[in-house]
Amino acid sequence: MPRLSHSDKVSIIEKMCRFIPHSHLQGIRLEHIEGETVTMRLPYRAELVGNPENGAIHSGALTVLLDHTLGTAGICCDQVSATITPTLDLRIDHLSVAPAGKDILATARVYKVTRRIIFVEGFAYCESPDKPVARATGTWVMMPELALEKLLLSVDAGAQQQ
Amino acid sequence: MNLSELIRHEPSEATLRLWLDRIPYAVYLGIRAEVQEQDILFILPGDRKLIGNPTLPALHGGVVGAFMEQAAALHLIARMAEPVLPKVINFSLDYLRPARLRDTYARCSVIRQGRQIANVSIAAWQDDMEAPNAIARTHFLIPGVQ
Repeated sequence: MPRLSHSDKVSIIEKMCRFIPHSHLQGIRLEHIEGETVTMRLPYRAELVGNPENGAIHSGALTVLLDHTLGTAGICCDQVSATITPTLDLRIDHLSVAPAGKDILATARVYKVTRRIIFVEGFAYCESPDKPVARATGTWVMMPELALEKLLLSVDAGAQQQ
Repeated sequence: MNLSELIRHEPSEATLRLWLDRIPYAVYLGIRAEVQEQDILFILPGDRKLIGNPTLPALHGGVVGAFMEQAAALHLIARMAEPVLPKVINFSLDYLRPARLRDTYARCSVIRQGRQIANVSIAAWQDDMEAPNAIARTHFLIPGVQ
């Protein structure tokens, strides 16, 4: 599997954000990539509130962001690169309540790759990565026979048609 | 009436609707609940805005998880002798098969409820309850009754 350059990783992850309709609608976007670690942002919106009494974002909206971010981390991992990876499982620990009115950021990286399985960890935070609101671990199944590039070419084709 | 006051009402289909109506994210996802034979059936209506994989098309896995978490919290409240808003401690989700673009159902069971902690399991399915699309379990912290 060829190692992707930083700009290739950025380009593929930005295409992924557009390709996944629900993530795109949520406004989930790439914040930055540092080596093999990816950070994404979920902008605060009133309709994501789970507890109307404190205005905190619903834990389920965090699940969507963490699923998306951990699922994307494989692209930044030099041993995985661009293949389709269905989610096997995801576990989230809710460490504190996300403050009302704040965007949520999520950071993830692959910490182990076997022939078939990708093990990913990550966390979500608001102002500072030192104060995570949630931690997540998950596993994804590697399907090297399904190249992500082919799938994303359909996004390019779709964009040109519009 | 706020959500904390609302949950003290006997859970019926009408009160479940009132609870769901007070939760902006549940309204956004379109979650509904029906009371069937003393159990609660939660429904996530199929909606294009919830698609994660446009080629199948399949619902976003995170949305299926969010639906199951919300179902677990409301199911637990409905089962409490003295209802309070539970706080999710953690959530563990196993994806078994992609959820297609149609209605998804969830049923929950309270595996154990202690004084402070509750363990709830959730199954979500589309065509066949015996072939779930995802299963999950979650722990809730039950704040002390004031």
